[in-house]
Amino acid sequence: MSIDKATEFGNIKISAEAIATLAGGVVTECYGVVGMASQKLLKDGLAELLGKENYSKGIVVRETNKQLEIDLYIIIGFGIKISEVVLEVQKKVKYVLEKTLDTKFKSINIYVQGVRVIS
Amino acid sequence: MSMNTIQGQLFKSMLVSGSNHLSNHHHEIDALNVFPVPDGDTGTNMNLTFSAGVKEASALKSEHIGEITKVLSKGLLMGARGNSGVILSQIFRGFFQSVESKKEISALDFSEAFVKGTDIAYKAVMRPVEGTILTVLRESSKDTFEYVSKQHIVSIEDTLDFMIKRAKVSLENTPNLLPILKEVGVVDSGAAGYVAILEGFKMAIEGNVAVLNETNQEFEGVQSRIENEEFGYCTEFIIKLSDTVIKNFSESDLRDQLARMGDSLVVVQDDDLVKVHVHTIRPGDALNLGQRYGEFIKLKVENMQEQHEHLSVIQATQVKKKYALIAVAAGDGIQALFKEYRVDTVISGGQTMNPSTEDFISAIKQLNAEHIFIFPNNSNIILAAQQAESLLEDQDIRVIPTKTIPQGLSACIMFNPEVDVKENIHEMTEAYHHVKTGSVTIAIKDSSIDGLQISENDYMGILDKHIVVNSPDKMKTIKDLLEKGVSEEDGLITLIIGEDAIASETDEIVAYIEKTYKNCELEIQMGNQPVYPYIFGIE
Repeated sequence: MSIDKATEFGNIKISAEAIATLAGGVVTECYGVVGMASQKLLKDGLAELLGKENYSKGIVVRETNKQLEIDLYIIIGFGIKISEVVLEVQKKVKYVLEKTLDTKFKSINIYVQGVRVIS
Repeated sequence: MSMNTIQGQLFKSMLVSGSNHLSNHHHEIDALNVFPVPDGDTGTNMNLTFSAGVKEASALKSEHIGEITKVLSKGLLMGARGNSGVILSQIFRGFFQSVESKKEISALDFSEAFVKGTDIAYKAVMRPVEGTILTVLRESSKDTFEYVSKQHIVSIEDTLDFMIKRAKVSLENTPNLLPILKEVGVVDSGAAGYVAILEGFKMAIEGNVAVLNETNQEFEGVQSRIENEEFGYCTEFIIKLSDTVIKNFSESDLRDQLARMGDSLVVVQDDDLVKVHVHTIRPGDALNLGQRYGEFIKLKVENMQEQHEHLSVIQATQVKKKYALIAVAAGDGIQALFKEYRVDTVISGGQTMNPSTEDFISAIKQLNAEHIFIFPNNSNIILAAQQAESLLEDQDIRVIPTKTIPQGLSACIMFNPEVDVKENIHEMTEAYHHVKTGSVTIAIKDSSIDGLQISENDYMGILDKHIVVNSPDKMKTIKDLLEKGVSEEDGLITLIIGEDAIASETDEIVAYIEKTYKNCELEIQMGNQPVYPYIFGIE
């Protein structure tokens, strides 16, 4: 899966991995998000908090019917209005991705995998 | 008069003043909003957030600052809107944690609370972006705390004065930290909102609590009520007082009873008619009450929450774009392709099903753009598009007379939102003139066209407007068509596969093109168009 484009100078291929890394970078700047999490929950129902180098594990880039979708698995800080944070993440990720890649994204899906108390 | 402590009463009026001052400036703040997403809502979001919190806090009877800030922080959390609103809620959460046990606070407590607010606000983000409200908060709080710590006695006025001065310096510096701000030539919007709140605080300390500007008042009133989900229905009715009631009717009695149900109350009597307007969560009760006095002449109940949401949807779409593109196409694959090429609206249509002028007009009206380009993609549709152009005189509409799908696609590719209309038209026209279109379809009756004898069920190869080949054999038709269409200068063949195409034939065609036209690149698109199993774009 990748974004393919052709310009007069040649072809461009942007891999899913590159898109995921870009999205990961954007998410870390989103206010209220304190971490990225793995997609699968561990046995005890907790999501694994990902280290910086593994952010792209918490991000899935998909293409269905030629439309790009992205899933983000995130952890939100305690005492913050989750609904607003999620909306802002969607807005910001969509905006930045579409602007930098010049490609439309059909949906930015957010999975809040946990809430972490920040002391 | 100089003060060294803030009491509960004063603190509440500071909050109200901060909220009002922010509200009076929220339109200006909206205009600054370019980061993180330039949607121009920062001021509005901050205003809604802060007024929701302040409303809760000022309704509280207690004058214990710890308790007031607790309610404030809860109110801000629940009422938080948007990024800046969420940050604001965190600042005051930290503020609350710092002054939790204090009935009144000194200048030192006050400045320390903002330092704590900074801490909490920074903890809620992995990679804080500098040049935003966070930066201004951090710099102004830290410096103010240091300043206050070094003095023996410092008044609240001085503290706030210092804080605001420092915050303004920091605000002016935001464009140096965040490139996008510099590019657009603005300071950060969230930070500007924060400074507005501080200024409101100071006004209250000086004894002139900021009041809401008249124009904002009604708007603000409705908004903050919606925030609390109270008084959700705007209820209006006119009663014709019955003869028995009219003698003893008292306007003020009715008003008093209605006041218990809601607010924004208006009761006006004119002879035997009484007009009532009230915002209430139980419109039924208000109507029952009204009915006791006589008959309804008129009734209207509207859900304000819905209205509000509807309004924000409309507002969101009302940002006027410079350009919008409309294309006509049939087949979901081709339609998706146009969408990919930044076409805003694809009108369904093509050979044998031409969209009407009305279809164009309604599509145009839904778009909000300065200049609209239309790609009819069929010679029979150009006229309808041109009619729409002449009917809507106050809208700049340019019909690019593309006659085929490949022409439309290559014109769309050349569209460039950065350049002006003239250059776009030039580029797009140039692009579509270079494209030759071949298509294959089946003859439905015997005929003689363009010097060819065509029998029913023959395959016809059409190059641009003319039928150039025909044969009972589909593959032969396609090969002959390509032979006539592709010349030496051509470098790209686009194959658009229709809904009636057969996979094995498609494979054969692909193999044939790749073998025969080695100089051409082949691009395959799933068009799913009706009528034509294969369309070729040759350029």
